[in-house]
Amino acid sequence: MLQSLFDGILVGSVLALGAIGLTLIMHILRFANFSHAELLSLGAYFALTFDAVFGAVSNVLVQKLPWLSVTWSLACAVLIAMALTGATAAIIDLLVFRRLRRLAGPLTMVFASFGVSLIVRNVIGLVYGLRSTHYNNDIVFAMMISADPLLLVKADQIFIMCLALVIMVALHLVLTRTSIGYTLLAVSENPTLAQVNGINLGATVRLAWMLGGGLAAIAGFCYALNNQLSPVMGRDLVLSLFAAAIVGGIGSIYGAVLGGLIVGLASSLALIIIPAGYKPAIPFLIILATLYVRPNGLFGQSR
Amino acid sequence: MRKVNLLSPRAALLSLLLPAIWISPTSTVLAADCETKIGAVLPTSVDWGRPIAETAQFAVDLFNESGGVKGCDIDMVLRDSQVDPKIGVDAAKALVDLDKVPLLLGAVSSGVSMPILTSVTVPSGVMQMSCCSSSTGFTDVAAEGKTNGLWFRTFATTRNQAAVAAKLVQDKGYKSVGIFYKNDDWGQDIGKLVKADLEKLGITVTTSVAINDAQPSYRAEVTEALKTKPEAVYMALYPAEGISVTREWVSLGGTQKMVVANSLKSDEYRDGVGFQYLSDVIGHDSAPPRTDSADSFTAMYKEKFDSEPNGPGLPNIFDAVMISLLAMEAAPELTGAAIAAQVGKVTDPSGTPVNADAAGLKEARALLADGKSLSYQGATGAVVFDANGDVSAPAVAWTFTEDGTAEAAYYPLADVDTFIATLSK
Repeated sequence: MLQSLFDGILVGSVLALGAIGLTLIMHILRFANFSHAELLSLGAYFALTFDAVFGAVSNVLVQKLPWLSVTWSLACAVLIAMALTGATAAIIDLLVFRRLRRLAGPLTMVFASFGVSLIVRNVIGLVYGLRSTHYNNDIVFAMMISADPLLLVKADQIFIMCLALVIMVALHLVLTRTSIGYTLLAVSENPTLAQVNGINLGATVRLAWMLGGGLAAIAGFCYALNNQLSPVMGRDLVLSLFAAAIVGGIGSIYGAVLGGLIVGLASSLALIIIPAGYKPAIPFLIILATLYVRPNGLFGQSR
Repeated sequence: MRKVNLLSPRAALLSLLLPAIWISPTSTVLAADCETKIGAVLPTSVDWGRPIAETAQFAVDLFNESGGVKGCDIDMVLRDSQVDPKIGVDAAKALVDLDKVPLLLGAVSSGVSMPILTSVTVPSGVMQMSCCSSSTGFTDVAAEGKTNGLWFRTFATTRNQAAVAAKLVQDKGYKSVGIFYKNDDWGQDIGKLVKADLEKLGITVTTSVAINDAQPSYRAEVTEALKTKPEAVYMALYPAEGISVTREWVSLGGTQKMVVANSLKSDEYRDGVGFQYLSDVIGHDSAPPRTDSADSFTAMYKEKFDSEPNGPGLPNIFDAVMISLLAMEAAPELTGAAIAAQVGKVTDPSGTPVNADAAGLKEARALLADGKSLSYQGATGAVVFDANGDVSAPAVAWTFTEDGTAEAAYYPLADVDTFIATLSK
């Protein structure tokens, strides 16, 4: 039970990071972006690439951070990966979604996002190969915190949780204390009214993409650190991400965090009751149950 | 294009009596003047399916060169199943209804063979022999008497593999085992069988956890198994999820004593997990028999295709074709039921052993003409079908090495059969 709780919160905090970007874009641009999960893969692979680059450049960077399996070069690579993934998200918007926004309906956008996700996934497969890989091929052994009830924890996992927490707090501060945050919130509330008040819509949308992309890169890195890198990791995660965003309520960043935790915890705790074979159904059940009780999600507003 | 061997009075007579039929330009020797069609539904559009179809045609050609069936050349009408049950059934229907074949070879996947068997061949009274379907579902259907004795396969079933897995666990002396199985037909099948076999051997199965593919994390599943503290684990998984599950399992302090299915016998799995964690792994796999007849198939194959018969199902399809055609030769009339009834006669363990080469086939014809039974010795050894049309196969145990896999033990057919017999008591 304790172990399932811990695992659920761990998976949930990674999902939350990914779902924040998804819910932001869904709210501002009003379409379900199925390619968002591919940004997680992209971020994870960017980090892998620059880890190798930095590792080759300097011997100092190959050393590991205290306690963790993360090297200094990987830590630096994650920062680059965030910037690159954010930029890629903005470029994808420029090339695909911005044009379609002007010309086509929301359904076309959804299908276009399917197309984009296929392209990104296959390009990753083409460049990095289809096999799964790891940042560090050595298996990091878990420490037994307590034997009964069983609780096994890895230092990396504590690191992931802290990282997720720090980023969420930082995001909260940015959104509530800075003008950039107000701009984002204003545009997501009402784009027309925001424009009337002198907000540059194009720049704000770009910012939302970059923010979503950057968060996705961190989420992808955390997931890959805890599990593995694979070109299909985005596909594996997309349902859980959508479940988190929908449960939290589209547009609500705090809802996405809560939604992520709910989905993570439910998937982990459910196995205590149901056989493992039925696990894939859990995110759907959560979506159904939430929408039944609160059609706009936990924190969502009707419009 | 018509060729008549005027030196042979029988051929001359036949050419007068039978209408002249177009003969394939590739058949050069002893071309007969008549043709008998048989059907084949194989996945020729996938890269591992094409060699199976080519091997089938190779076997048909060999048989034709030795004189065909009842003096007639066999024309194998090949249709693509695309590994799709719907397309496979359509193809089989066309072969049975339009080409009127009494015999159907195929399909490869159990999921395709099964609907063909239940909705096409059995209702039409056509005999079906598959090279490669391993599901124990066929055994159940046959045991219920729903195949009318028309179903055979030359591929050892999952039953066989599960028994070997249990044997490996027993030989290693593990007292309690946790099972991870892939949540598909094959995985559920073998997972259930291994569990039953282990329990029969008095080994505790602490838990049996289904693993779905494409899950973001297997931590919850692994934790479930970990709580039961098994001494060893058995894994019937594919490399993709097998790597994730194994790494998660090892990282959480799970035992590195593992018995794994043949699906994990791959470099992808070894490299993905890391060889240093797999030194205590032993795997099971079916093996080609170490007999002269199997070697002679390999030699014939190499001469024809200039490569080793390494693809899946190649020896099996060769034997499926040869046994079917010998049964046709033995059958009094060319109907599905009549041919199926003769399969036992050409694979009779107490019959005269004959090899699957030109000399052997000639001998087989002579024996059959005298009404004697024969024991076919083919690419998969001495093939013997049980009452449900199933065969057994030898097995190997293997381990991972620095640069691949190595054989740890070889279990000849007799050993495997004896072990299965003790399990089914």
